[in-house]
Amino acid sequence: MILTGQSLTKTYGSLSALTDVDIACAAGTIYGLLGANGAGKTTLFRILLGLIKPNKGKVIINSDRIKPLGGIIEKPAAYEYLSAQQNLRLFSKIQKAPADKTTIENKLKAVGLSPERKDPVRNFSLGMKQRLGIAIALLNDPECLVLDEPFSGLDPIGIASLRSLIQELATKQGLSVLVSSHIVDELSKVCDELIILKEGQIVNRGATQEIISACTESYLISGPEITQTDLWEKVDAKMLRQSVQVFVGAEEIGEIISVLAKKGIQITSCTPEISMSKLFDTDTK
Amino acid sequence: MRALIWSELYKLVHQRMTYLALAAILIIEGVVIFSAYFQGNTILDILLDNLRDSFYFEGNLLNGHLLVYLILNSLWFHLPLILMIVSAGLLTTEYKDKTLQMVMLQPVNRTSFLLSKYVVAIIFSLGVVLVLMVSSMGVSYAVFGGGDLVVYLGSLNFFPHEEAFQRILWAYGCGTLTVIFFSVVSVTIAVLVRETTIAWIASAFFLIVANLLLKVDFGDGWFGKYSFVKLNDTWQQLFYQDINWTQIHTNNALILGYTLLFMVIGVIVFKRRDLL
Repeated sequence: MILTGQSLTKTYGSLSALTDVDIACAAGTIYGLLGANGAGKTTLFRILLGLIKPNKGKVIINSDRIKPLGGIIEKPAAYEYLSAQQNLRLFSKIQKAPADKTTIENKLKAVGLSPERKDPVRNFSLGMKQRLGIAIALLNDPECLVLDEPFSGLDPIGIASLRSLIQELATKQGLSVLVSSHIVDELSKVCDELIILKEGQIVNRGATQEIISACTESYLISGPEITQTDLWEKVDAKMLRQSVQVFVGAEEIGEIISVLAKKGIQITSCTPEISMSKLFDTDTK
Repeated sequence: MRALIWSELYKLVHQRMTYLALAAILIIEGVVIFSAYFQGNTILDILLDNLRDSFYFEGNLLNGHLLVYLILNSLWFHLPLILMIVSAGLLTTEYKDKTLQMVMLQPVNRTSFLLSKYVVAIIFSLGVVLVLMVSSMGVSYAVFGGGDLVVYLGSLNFFPHEEAFQRILWAYGCGTLTVIFFSVVSVTIAVLVRETTIAWIASAFFLIVANLLLKVDFGDGWFGKYSFVKLNDTWQQLFYQDINWTQIHTNNALILGYTLLFMVIGVIVFKRRDLL
């Protein structure tokens, strides 16, 4: 394990932000930390990244690199009055990473930013700032990347693009990536494993697909003529405009889709509707 | 550490606030010269009306030396105020923009990072005093020329041209130490309060209180002799007829000690505190 947190506990006065949280991150795996606002995600990340000290517990980093962990907390924060290149050069120099023109340009290209842009970062979109933040976090080649709410505020194109960047980093470079969000849909698409945090405690964890399956109560099937079949009379379903909410488990949904396919009914999407109460209350540790 | 100092200087020269501060200082200097040009002779006439009958003054008393001396008075309040705003901003803007968090996520030592802020605040203060000195001397001597310097400090003190110039140079040296002290204090205030506006208010409050207490007579006790509020006007001692060098050196050593003390306090708090 590259990063391990043991019994991490943090209190602010009488408020308990984290209680006995254990976490471990392995190379090449993407972990999703899911929790409502105020669940303790940012506090946990701050402790893992050494910004705050826990009242109890310890963080073990198993790496001999200059920078074992890279991260972004809350929002990507670069110097707004400097260009992306200037920011990257400045952050490189303070940590003695290579800061020559070619290296900087390659780092920008690696996260999908154009080295041609010379204007200040304040003109950048949130997605571009997020990419610059990741480029800064990746300086000195850390083994683990910690991203706090990276999808927050991004448009759908930005989300898709960031998702593929995260997957690429884990798959091609073997990075361990820890991503937090309060939106399950975002994490389910990118993470190998999910950790559910509620009121400062881990209430659920496991392989993403297992958790999603265990907590799915219904599926939303969409298509132009999806409502025009007698199949819905035989299963528990609720008709919507161009979609149907089907109240079945993971085992039955495949069969339903296959019946629809045989009937020649076009399906544009099939999305699991996850029960939040199951997700946050069931302890499957 | 050198890389951190470089990065701090790099940020400083790329920020608009730096140039606004320099412009503000040059405007203050311009206002002093402008007012002296139009009103200086009238004030001098009132002050020296009786003395002109008994003494001969060489050259025009409204000269470059007097102008530089008047500009030196900005070392009391205006210059430290502007420098405190810039110096506190070195850190508070990083808290506000969350760039401090981003820097601390890199393999950067907290103590070295804060020390580099202090070093850059000192370098900037030195640079600004130098700009003030060169520009005030350049403009004043070019427009008003040289001559004897007359200064009122309880009584009228007169210094011949050459001696006046020497004293002015020493005064700039002593004043610089005071200005550096206030800049360092403002960085420490920024560490303590973190929020930009509060840091500015607290810095201004510190400067105002220090200047108010400077005027209060605390007698010959410890506070009256060695507290930092009593060291702000050391440079003025260069304009008494007899210079008490021992007192000046002691005061300068003390102000350096206080500067280091505030730096140590800042580093300790910064190291221990959680970065939220």
